[in-house]
Order: sequence, then C-alpha cells, then structure tokens
Amino acid sequence: MNLIRDIWQSIVRRDPLSTDKGKSELVFLNVWLHIHPAKVKKENMKFRHSFYLGFITFFLFLILLTTGIALMCYYRPYPPQAYQDMKDLQFVVFMGPFLRNMHRWAAHGMVVCVFLHMCRVFYTGSYKKPRQFNWVVGVVLLLLTLGLSFTGYLLPWDQLAFWAITVGSNIGSYAPIVGGQLRELLLGGHSVGEAALLRFYVLHVAVLPSALILLTIVHFWRVRKDGGLSRPVWKLKPKTEQLVTIGAPPAGVPLQAAAASKDKTYGLMEVVTGKPIFETITPEEEEDTVFSYPYAFVREAVVLMGTVTTIMVMSLFLNAPLEQLANPAKTPNPAKAPWYFLGLQELVSHSALLGGVIAPALMVLALLLIPYLDRNPSRRPAERKLILWLFTLFVVANLALIVIGTFFRGPGWALVPPWVHVVGGAE
Amino acid sequence: MERKLQQAFFALSIVALVLILAAEWQANTPSWKNYQRTFLQLEAQDEPNAAAKAAVLATPLEIHQVMLTGLQRVDRCTTCHLGVDDPTLKNAPEPYRYHANLGPHIPSRFGCTICHGGQGLATDKQNAHGSVPFWPNPLLSPDYVRASCGRCHKEGDVPGVPELAEGRHLFETQGCRGCHKLNGVGGSIGPDLSEEGASLRSPTWLEQHFLVPSAVSAGSAMPNFHFTKDQARALTYYMLSLTNQDMGSYYASVRLIPSPEYGHELFVEKNCIACHNVGGVGAKTGPDLLGVTKRHSPEWLDEQLVNPQLVYPGSSMPEYDLETNARKALLAFMTTATPEDAQSIVAGRKTALKPEDVAIEAGKQDFARFGCVGCHGTELQGGVPNPNAQGGEVPSLLHVADDYTKDEVIAIIRDGKAPPLDNPAGLTPPLYMPSWKHVLSDEDINRVADYLWSMQQKKESW
Repeated sequence: MNLIRDIWQSIVRRDPLSTDKGKSELVFLNVWLHIHPAKVKKENMKFRHSFYLGFITFFLFLILLTTGIALMCYYRPYPPQAYQDMKDLQFVVFMGPFLRNMHRWAAHGMVVCVFLHMCRVFYTGSYKKPRQFNWVVGVVLLLLTLGLSFTGYLLPWDQLAFWAITVGSNIGSYAPIVGGQLRELLLGGHSVGEAALLRFYVLHVAVLPSALILLTIVHFWRVRKDGGLSRPVWKLKPKTEQLVTIGAPPAGVPLQAAAASKDKTYGLMEVVTGKPIFETITPEEEEDTVFSYPYAFVREAVVLMGTVTTIMVMSLFLNAPLEQLANPAKTPNPAKAPWYFLGLQELVSHSALLGGVIAPALMVLALLLIPYLDRNPSRRPAERKLILWLFTLFVVANLALIVIGTFFRGPGWALVPPWVHVVGGAE
Repeated sequence: MERKLQQAFFALSIVALVLILAAEWQANTPSWKNYQRTFLQLEAQDEPNAAAKAAVLATPLEIHQVMLTGLQRVDRCTTCHLGVDDPTLKNAPEPYRYHANLGPHIPSRFGCTICHGGQGLATDKQNAHGSVPFWPNPLLSPDYVRASCGRCHKEGDVPGVPELAEGRHLFETQGCRGCHKLNGVGGSIGPDLSEEGASLRSPTWLEQHFLVPSAVSAGSAMPNFHFTKDQARALTYYMLSLTNQDMGSYYASVRLIPSPEYGHELFVEKNCIACHNVGGVGAKTGPDLLGVTKRHSPEWLDEQLVNPQLVYPGSSMPEYDLETNARKALLAFMTTATPEDAQSIVAGRKTALKPEDVAIEAGKQDFARFGCVGCHGTELQGGVPNPNAQGGEVPSLLHVADDYTKDEVIAIIRDGKAPPLDNPAGLTPPLYMPSWKHVLSDEDINRVADYLWSMQQKKESW
C-alpha cells in the first residue's frame, strides 16, 4: 500500500484538496490547469455573462482535434481515392459515420460559436484597454477557424466540396493584382484539382491547426494576465487604490500592498506596485472570489460535457452530406460556396468588386482595428449606443445576406424562395 | 447550486456514455449481418449433424469484397449475395441465389456493378442498389442489364446482345453525330453522349426519348425519328453502354469478341472475296480459303494477316491493320466458311466482281494505311481546313478525273504538289501534298490511282 501511495504522491504533489493550500496547488502545480488563477471572481463564472462561448468554442476544437486525427487514419488526400475513403467511412469503417458526423457538426458549431463569442466580447466592450491586442488575436483566430472549415470542406472530394471551393476561391481571386496569384498559390494551379486537394489537406491537418493552437495559447494567456474574463464593470463598486493578491489570507486580516523598493518591482507573487496595466482586485472584491477548484472547474466540466453530448446527439441522427464524386465537367446550378461565405457570394452576384474585394477587406480591417478606432473609454452600454447599433447592423446584414444566399437562391442565382420547388433544380 | 452543477456533470457524463454506446450499437448492427445470419441458418439446415450445424452457424460475420483495380471499383455485393458462385444454390431465395449463365464473367474477376450498376461500395440494401440521392448509377432493371456487355465489348458482334450492334448501326447511319458528339466527333447541338452510360438518365427515360422526344423532355430540339420499339430499345442499349471509363488492360482486350459472325462481317468489309474464293466461289487471284485452317497452323495464318510479305515475299496480299481479336474472328469465320457463304457474299455485292477489284482493293488499303485519309477523308471527301489554299481546304478527290488524267495524278502522287494559293501575297498554306516516291512503290501508286478512278466511276453511275 505504501508503494501505491508513494507512486500517487510522486504524481500528485499537492496537499489534500480539503485545504486551501491544496486547492491553490492543484492549479499552480498542474501544467494543464495553471492557465487558471487559483481563485476566480464569482462574477466571471456567471453563465449569462459570457454564455461560456469561448469555452464552447475551445471544447469544439478539442472534439475536432480528436475526431480529425482519427479520420486521418482513413483518408488519402488524392482524387478519386479521397471520395472512396468517404464511402468506406460511411459503409465499412467501424463507427465511421459517427466519427465523420461529429467532425462535421463540431466544425460548423465552431464557426458559429467563434462568431457568437466575438459578438459577446463586442457587446460587453471587452476589447477595450488593456485587452485591445487580444481582440486582434481573436479576430485572427476567427479567420483561422474559417480557413480550417474552408480547407476541410474540400477534402470529401464530392460535388458539394469541389464546387463550393471553386466558387469560394473565385471570390478571393477578385482582389486586384494579387488575387489571381493568391488563388493560384492556394490551389497549386488554375483550377481545383489534385494539387489543390493536397494543399488543402496540408493546410487543414498541419499548418492551420498549429497556428490556431499557438494563437489560442496566446489568447488564453492574455485573458489570464488581464485578470480573467472581463466583467460588467458598470455593475461593480468603484475601485479603491489598494491592491491585493489573489488567493490572499482569509478576511479579517488587513491586506497591504508590498512596500515599493528600489531594486524590486514586485514582492509577493502577483503583487504589483505602482499603477498596474492589469485589472486587479480590491479588498472589497476579494470577498467575491472563490477557489477555481471546484467552482470554476465544475462549471467548465458541465459546459464540456454539454458540448460533447450535443454534438453526439446531432451525430447520431444527422448525417454529414456526401454528394457525387467531384466532376469538373458538371457544374451544379447554382454552385454555392460554404454557407459562411454565402454572404460574400451574394454580394459578388451584385458586384464582383464589392463582394470579392471591398466588403471582405473592409470587414477584416474594421474588425482588426475596432479596439484602436473606438476611442470611447467607457464600457457602459448606455455610453456606447452608436457603436453598438453599428455593430448590430453589421451582424444583421451579414446574417441576412447569408440567409438569402443559402435559402433564397436557386438555379442561375435567381431569387427563389425555399418553399418553391424548382423542376430540374436537383441536377 | 454547486451540488446541482456536480449532479449535472455526472448526468451529462452518463448521457455521453449512453450516446457512445448507442453509436456503437448502431455501428454493430448493420443490416448485412442479418442477411449473413439468415444465410448461415439456411446453410446449416442441410448439415447432417448438430456439430456441423454449429460449425456453420459459428462462421464469423464479415464484409466480403471484390477489389477490381482494373475496373476501378470495389464491389461488396457478395456480402449479402452470398451464393452467386455456388451452383448448389440455384433455387435459393434472393439475395442468396446462384448466378447462372455467367460464362467467363465470374464475380471474383468482374464483380457485379460493372454489369448491374448500383453502388458496390455500399453495405446496406438501399445504398447498394443505388436508388439514393447523389448516386448516378442505380441498379439496372433486368430488361437492360445486357446493355452493359457493351461497356467492355465496344465493337463487333456481342453474342446474345444483337441490340448493341443494331444500336451502334442506327447511331452511325441515322445521322445522330450531326447533333451529338461521341468520343470527340460530332455536332454540338445536342448533348455529348460519350458518357451517356454513366449519366443519371434512366433506361425508360432514354427509351421514351427515342420514341417521342418531347414526351420526356419538353421543348427538346431532337426531332422524332419515328423509331420502332425495337429500334428504340437497341439505341437505349447502345446509349447505356457508352462510357469512357478506363477499363484495365484485361477488360479492354475483349473490346471485340472474336466470333465467326464478326469474322464474316470483316470478310465482307475488307472485300476478301475480291481476291480469294471459298471452294471455287469468288475471285481466283488468291488461294482458295476452303479448309485453310486445316492446312495451316493458327500462328501461320495470323502472321499471314499481319505481315504477308514476311510469309511470302512478293505476295500481293495487302497488309490490313487488324487487331488481334479481329484476326481471330476472321480465322473463326474461316473454320466454318462454306462455298454457300461465299455465294451469298458475292450475291450481296453492289457491283459485280471484276478482275481489277484486286488492285482497287489494294489501293484502298494503301490509301487508308499511308494516311491519305487523314487529309482527303475516308470517303475522299476532303474538307480538312487549309488556310490560304484555293477553297480554304484540302480538295475532295471525288471528281479528280474531271480535272486530271490518270498519269497526271500519278505524277502528283510521286512528286507531290504545293496547293495553289487563294491570295498570292498571303501565307503559305500549312498543308501540302508530299512526294510519295520514296515511300510507295510504283505499283502501289498505280493501285491508289486505280482506286481513285474506281470511285469516280461509281459517282458517274449514280
């Protein structure tokens, strides 16, 4: 028994969880958990504050990572074997359909959740100082997510994949001067073919996921360094000047900032002198903090299991689409880009310059620059009415265009409501 | 609150576990396993004792598949159709029944879908039979399965499927190529038909379309040819057989079946009777072919068809570019040919047999073999574009006798000729008549001229 206890203690070197020290060490001494602080603010854990959208996005990514690696074992990235592998997944691989469905639905879910997460951050004004750059990282993560979804879209090598990527990459080629070359670089040729499939595969399984993981680490790290999730400050009591550590001794004992010294810029862990760039907590707020274990972790675990079960239920009952083998000679009418690019395709149908160049460039640029252009320091919604309305307009316009492109466009990109059946439209 | 959250976590974990088990159950109970179990029970019934029954029933359930790299497909049909190659299951219920009359087309070498259509990769009935969205080739109904013979046997006569030859004949004679492209040749008013056999069209649609085009395709530009039901069926068969899919070399080698019937066809087409006779019926220039297969070995005869000069230096037998199976077909016909056959061939000729036919036939072969047809056309019609030559194209040779004497033509073939220019200041036309004197013997050139003049005479007589 001693041996077993020794082994256990060599792995888990913290004090028992019944003690506060043990609870702190659970976080500090664990490489996976130490992205959390030992204690978190109660406010931050409220579901209706963040809807845990960032967490859900991250958990969806974990699902994608695991199912994706499993799928790689069954996939050959060259035509037409790629398509046959899809059929094998459907018909002979044990739990193959379930695996592919999970990957598909989690991918769509991630695109949706990363967008909703961005909206939440915008509406709470959480991109403001000191978090400006983390917003920029977030926008890049959004673009990487779209890139992952877009590259993954081609891999089944069916008609849906082939033409969605053909249309999608055409949208990009409208950019002046570099557009055509960018498209050629991406596709490895002038049209979607073997080279494009291989490039998309490399991007999808190696380049983009690595970039996404690295930037996610940066994203989380900065959230942590900026004092956790941003809170609705307008609901908090005004701050006092005094600073404290997180995880300080129990109430009753007065808290003091470490004395400033000439050769030391900090005293205790996380105690900072001078004016901090981070959000910090005041003694009053200290009462509002709790240990991460178990309060934060149990919530995250519930969200994780909620995400996993939702995707599983969808995967049991909804099958990922698989159309005919890609046929460059047979264009479906209409040929549509992946749904999240249908807003752009809708714009392209009116003006290639607008939809292919101006709109996407402006959107990305505006998103990246929001924290620097918005000079209003206040995060109170009442004081940000104009920009909130503008952002809502942006979101609604995007959604409206996507809905029109997805449901209201028939053969020849003619306006056809979804309840009207077009004869011959299926061919 | 905290307690509830913990309970929620455990509840969700159990839900997740149940879902995984459900997915596993779903994966573990495919319908093909039921078919295999029923099949094993059927098999076990005939076993004499309990031990043998148990052994049969203990056979592991597994997916059966035929990997057909040559046909670029994997057929898993035999996962359920377990008795296709077992003659004792002649009267077994479907899907276990034996497939009779397959001849050399055994499932392990051909699979099933190359003839029957359907989705070979699938392992459930609905998907495998292919009547699902996004699968272009559903199972062919029994009425049309024989059309698939034409997917490999692309030329000549297919025994048991006269519809294919009939359909091909109709296609080439009714002017279908005027509107439709097939393998690169034809008009572009109607759709390209090169891959028609792989398209979404159902056989009944095609057949209706041939009978009354507008009935299935409103506003179709295709005229009503008033085909009979049999003709429509033949054309439908031909359409269903059209595919450009790469067949492996083994399957491609049987493009043409070496049947005596096809040999007979070739014998007529190549005009063998112009030199040879069978039992004295026909021309006397060449040897009598009655019983020739008994006098010589097949190898000797084959060589005689490939390179007659090698067998008999100075032989007047032309070289025919016949492929292996065409030569086999000719020899197959030779084994059965009788003087009566020769009589009917002679009787079927448009013109009476004359001694010059030998030279004319040899000239026609030279004309084709040395590539004259490339510019002047298989029917001497000319018409290949040649910018800035007079008329803008290679001249037709159908009326050459009106403009030249035979000696002048022989001189042109011998020494070549640059075409007269449309615009003397313009570019040199890309095509010109080369000099043939170093390629063709004088005898060959004379034969070609004879051939040309023979065609003139035909024109005049029309």
